Amino acid sequence: MSPVKTTFVWPLLSLLALVLAPALVQVPYFLHLGILALIWVIVAQGQNLVQGFTGYVSIAAAGFMGVGAYASTLLTTKLGWSVWASMACAPLIAALLAVVVGYPSLRVKGHYFAIVTMAYNLVIFIVLINYSSLTGGESGITGVPKPENFSVFGFTINFETRNAYYYLTLICAAFATVICGLVLHSRVGRVLLAIRQNEPLVDAAGVFAWRYKMFAFVLSAALCGVAGALYAHFIGFLNPEPFGVDQSLNAILAVILGGSGTLAGPVVGAFLVVALPEFLRVAETYRLIVYGLLLVLTTIFMPRGIVPLLAYAWHLFTSLFKKR
Amino acid sequence: MIEFLQQVFNGLAIGAVYTLIAIGLTIVFGILGIAHFAHGVVAMSGGYVTFFLIEKLGVPFFVAMMLAMVVGAILGLLVERFAYRPVQNAAHINAFIIALGLTMMIDGLNLLAFGPDQMVIRTPFQSVFNLAGLVVTELRVYVMVTTAVLIVAMSFFVSRTKTGRAIRAVAQNRSAAILMGVNVNAVALVVFGLSSALGVAGGALVGAMLALAPGLGESLVIKGFAVLILGGLGSVPGAIVGGLILGVSEALAAGYLSSAYKDVIAFLVMIVVLLFRPEGLLGKK
Repeated sequence: MSPVKTTFVWPLLSLLALVLAPALVQVPYFLHLGILALIWVIVAQGQNLVQGFTGYVSIAAAGFMGVGAYASTLLTTKLGWSVWASMACAPLIAALLAVVVGYPSLRVKGHYFAIVTMAYNLVIFIVLINYSSLTGGESGITGVPKPENFSVFGFTINFETRNAYYYLTLICAAFATVICGLVLHSRVGRVLLAIRQNEPLVDAAGVFAWRYKMFAFVLSAALCGVAGALYAHFIGFLNPEPFGVDQSLNAILAVILGGSGTLAGPVVGAFLVVALPEFLRVAETYRLIVYGLLLVLTTIFMPRGIVPLLAYAWHLFTSLFKKR
Repeated sequence: MIEFLQQVFNGLAIGAVYTLIAIGLTIVFGILGIAHFAHGVVAMSGGYVTFFLIEKLGVPFFVAMMLAMVVGAILGLLVERFAYRPVQNAAHINAFIIALGLTMMIDGLNLLAFGPDQMVIRTPFQSVFNLAGLVVTELRVYVMVTTAVLIVAMSFFVSRTKTGRAIRAVAQNRSAAILMGVNVNAVALVVFGLSSALGVAGGALVGAMLALAPGLGESLVIKGFAVLILGGLGSVPGAIVGGLILGVSEALAAGYLSSAYKDVIAFLVMIVVLLFRPEGLLGKK
């Protein structure tokens, strides 16, 4: 097979597996985890745009998720919008916020960008907890509605069912991955990669690096906003807890574990960060410690993540069968 | 007016703690170029050790704090040697991600060892003076004096000893320092030890003034970085000025606006500085 064709084999195979999964997996809880993992795929793709492509670590993914989640929920419950319209608005609101806060923070580089974005996440969290007349504070909002039923060709799709919601998140996750893929292979993606490698050179070449950084940051926030809205309408209950800094660290972990700067990495990483706590459930108290250790060891010994490692192993494996 | 002075006084005390945390961060950043995010949890661990020494072994406060600073310095050495040094030649962002991992780990270990409850370090300094309406608590005075003494001691060490000269040499020009026979790895260890000891002092003081609780380490280190952004990266005078400004503005915000949103105001100050003076108040262009 030519190299062009093989690039599509693995994505299509995994997409097929994900499409068939609800038919094969009969345990409802696994489907529940599957939906969460797909939501995290969207977050991780967004995180990867900034962290993996551009080389700027943003610690605000969960904050923007929270903005999307609360925006969509409040538009539905307070203004009586349809869930679909609210969900479509959620990424726009997250993106708008990203434009406003991105401007000052993208003036600093490296670690300081990380710190500033983390401060944003903290501010969002503080506001969600304290602005209780709007957000319900720590006790949260109950009864977040599911999306309205949808009729195509006489079939009615009921989003109260897990299967329907699974496919909704799958479509969104696939869409997010495709968008990131398109960005990566466009001129914009090339500039982002160039910024990661040598930002002063990009500036010196007459390219306005900050515009591209801003684009990556805003798109990433929009993806997190979608993920937050999907999360809110799926769980049906909303409080600030899942939107704290530790969840943003989870997004970073997903990108690092999977393989930063690759398209498949965030997908693998998202499934891992949703699956890992389930495995570590027996040792809830050790969860943080194991997580932290994993992050440290991965960065030291496997800085490129699992996907490039697997790709390398696969390359070695196939080269065994090739004619010399 | 007296209320204003009261808030400023309280703000200076908490600002002194921010300064101690920020000086540790700024020397690590200025000399080694590492954004040592795990500094906050190291400081907190030191606070817990101080608490443990006082409550379980009956050690007097300042002795307990000194011992905790030694423990913290050792923890700092371990962190440098086993977590940061393996990635010293990789991209800077890797060190930062490692710092995040360390933060989670040490936080988890603290939670395991000391539990999730709030703990206040008991001190014998409970007197309260009244200066024409201004309420001056003895503890806050001790916090400021301790901070001042530690800063003077650190400056003395850096400016007058041979090791200090090596540290300054590495800060100015790493490769030239190597060529002059300075052992850069040893300097890194000393810097981390020094920085962690100062941080632990900050942790112990904040534990005495407010309380120790899980998550405080993160909030301390973020304040510390906010101070660095305010004062200028790698600048010790910047850290002092920035820490005091942050402490006072936070206290004023809590007193006059809203205590729930005081952290928001601290971050707003930081963002405004970024917008208008990205190099910090005392930083070089």
